[in-house]
Order: sequence, then C-alpha cells, then structure tokens
Amino acid sequence: MMKAYATRLIDIIETKSEEMARRWAADVRKNHRTPSYHGLTEEKVIPQAIFFYTHFRQMFFTDNPFDTAKGFFARYAEERYRGKIPLQEAIYGLILMRRHLWLYAEFQTAYVTTVDLHQMAEGLNRTILMFDYAMYQITEKYQELISQDVDRKLGVIKTLRMEDPAGGKQGVFKTGLMGAFLLVACLLTYYYHATLGVGVIFTHLFYIPIILAAIWWRKKGILVALFLGILIITSHALFLRGVPFADDIIRASMFVLTGYVVARLMDGLKKVEDMFRTLTT
Amino acid sequence: MKAYATKLIDLTESSAEKIAKQWAKDVKTNEKTKSYHGAAAERILLQATEFYHHFREMFVHDAPYRQAEKYFEHYAEERYREGIPLHEAVYALILMRRHIWLYAEFQAIFITAVEHRQAVESLSRTILMFDYAMYAITRKYRELMKLEWFEAPNT
Repeated sequence: MMKAYATRLIDIIETKSEEMARRWAADVRKNHRTPSYHGLTEEKVIPQAIFFYTHFRQMFFTDNPFDTAKGFFARYAEERYRGKIPLQEAIYGLILMRRHLWLYAEFQTAYVTTVDLHQMAEGLNRTILMFDYAMYQITEKYQELISQDVDRKLGVIKTLRMEDPAGGKQGVFKTGLMGAFLLVACLLTYYYHATLGVGVIFTHLFYIPIILAAIWWRKKGILVALFLGILIITSHALFLRGVPFADDIIRASMFVLTGYVVARLMDGLKKVEDMFRTLTT
Repeated sequence: MKAYATKLIDLTESSAEKIAKQWAKDVKTNEKTKSYHGAAAERILLQATEFYHHFREMFVHDAPYRQAEKYFEHYAEERYREGIPLHEAVYALILMRRHIWLYAEFQAIFITAVEHRQAVESLSRTILMFDYAMYAITRKYRELMKLEWFEAPNT
C-alpha cells in the first residue's frame, strides 16, 4: 500500500527534481535561518538539492535505511562543512529540501480517500524516519570533522607535549631530557658565575626547560622554574660577591612567572580539550 | 489544526509518565545514545516528562518557533552541561517524538477517515516543531562550544 503511494511520490520527485531544486535554492538563498547560503550562486546551490532528490528512491525503499542514508548524508555533511556552512544551517537546508518535496507533492496530487490518507501518513512516516537518521548522521559527521580540525590545530602543541597514549616510555624520556637540561643549566651557571665571573645572557637558555616543563607537567612544571631561579640566586651569592643582586632577582622572578603563565595556559587548554572530546565523541 | 491535534496532545499529556518510561528504556539501550546508558533512570525520566508536559504549549502556540526555541535551547544547554554529545542529544529528542507516535498507534486513536486526516495533520505539526527544535539545538550547542581561538575555522 505504502509502495503505491511512494511510487507516485517518487515519480514526481524524480521527474521534477530540477524544478523542486530551483524552488528550494530560491528559498534557502533568502531564508533568514540559512544566511550562509545567501551569498552562494544558484549554480552552486541547486546541484545539492538535485543530488538529494535523485537519490531519494534509493534511500526510501532500502531495507536498511540507516546504512543507506549514512553514506549519502556523510557526504552531504562533509561537503557543507568544507563549504563553510554552519551545522544548524546545513540541517535547516536539508529540512527545507524535505519541505519543498512535500509542498510539491501536495501541489501535484490530491489525497481524498481514506486509503490515500493512510498511504500519505505511511509515506510521511517513512520520509521522517530517513530524516531522523539524516539529522543524527549529519551532526555526528560535523562533530567528527570539527574534532579532526581541532586536532590539526593543536598539532604543534601535541608534538611538544609528547604524550604517549599507552603511558610509560614518554614519561621516562621527558624526565630524562629535563634532567639533562637542568644539568646543563647547572654547568653553565657554574662556568659563567664561577669561572668567568659574569652573569650575562646564558640565563635566556633557561626558558627552554621552563616552558617545556610547564607544557609537560603543567602546574608541577613550575618547580623547574623555581629550581632554576634558586640556582642563579644561590650561585650569585656564592660566586658573584660585590655584584648587585637586582638583575638576578628579576631573572628568577621572570622564570617563575613564565612557568606559571605557560602552566595556566596548558591547564586551560587541557580542560577545553577534555570537554571538547566528551562532547564530540 | 488545533482541534485535529487535540487527541494527540491529550494522550501525550495524560500518558506523559508512561511514554517517558518507554523512552527512557529505549534511550538507555539504544546504540545511538551511548551517553545515556550509564545515567540514572530517574534523572533521564525528567527530561522526557518535562518535554511531554510542554508538548501542548509548543503544539498549539501561534508562534511555534519562538515557543520551541525557548524550550529547546534550554534542553540543549542542559544536555551540554551533562556532557552529552550533540548527535546523541538530537537522537534522544527524536526518540521522544517517536515514542509519542508509538504510544498513539498502540492506543489506536486514529481509525476513521477523519481521524486519519487528524493523524496526518498532527504528524505535520509535530514535524514542524521538530524542525525548529533541530535548528535551535544545533545552533545552541555550537554557541556553547564556541571557544574563540579553539574554534575550528569553518563552523
């Protein structure tokens, strides 16, 4: 029964897909809920609807509507995403496609008898089922694409973070590398303060371990900045007698401040990242 | 239209708790709503009963979009705070709508030709409301997720 009605509906859709697509394009290009479509040319917009209408039969009659719709709507989502259409507008654009389909079908056919009405209700239900899956699949795909974009954006920071999902080896490597940095810092401080008797620019190199420690261990990483600050002040007290302390006190304070700022930024980033992961997966 | 829809609204309102229980059972096992599986039944039941009790208000309002927008933005905000991914929040709502129809079909409230017309009209009206819901929820989620420099370039 439903098939007879659906055949009528699909015949209309397939023979009039271009006409319906044009009406849809005119709507979406001026609808206040789809502003991203307003600047697009008709040539760019119309094929989206033609593609949908010409694939309608396949999605309507399949035994497995979810899987059949998946490929189609994943493609729809990806194309809209690459076309910089926000999710809510991509969804509303699709809703308008369905509405134009129904408007056209209602305009073309009269439903008078009980059988007609029953078939219409069945056809409506089937179309709605397909669109329910579409909403789910499009939102899921958008979230997936956003997540991939965010991962790409965080690429450099992620590399610097040297996170090992399995845990273990990366942690040992980071501790070892930090140990080496601190040893070099101690040797440099001794060389410049004790041997040369100067406190020049070598301390700028200390920012490398300070920033890395804050990226790796966040608040705990500030301990590295504290250690290096204490190192230069102690070394100054031991080897640079008679030289004013002011410069090294400022340097030590800047170490701690830099470590603190980077650690706070990494903390914030981690929180946002965790929230983002929860909401997109 | 309002007269046609009364039967469905009355049924939804009077059976809100029963429909909500069926929905909760579904959402807790449905593979498309995994985030709900571990949630306490009492907590998720509230979402559905609240929705079914607001159904009349949204259904018969002269400005359905404005009415639905207010309710569904609140729905989106609550799901967001609970850490429910957007596609699951959307699907849970779709299931709420489906359970109204399942219950109505089970109760066989649309039998005669007139009732069939009522069914089609009610269906169209419900879908219109849900169209607005989908738009409002996805927009609200995106607003909440907008995190300036963290935002993906084209969303």
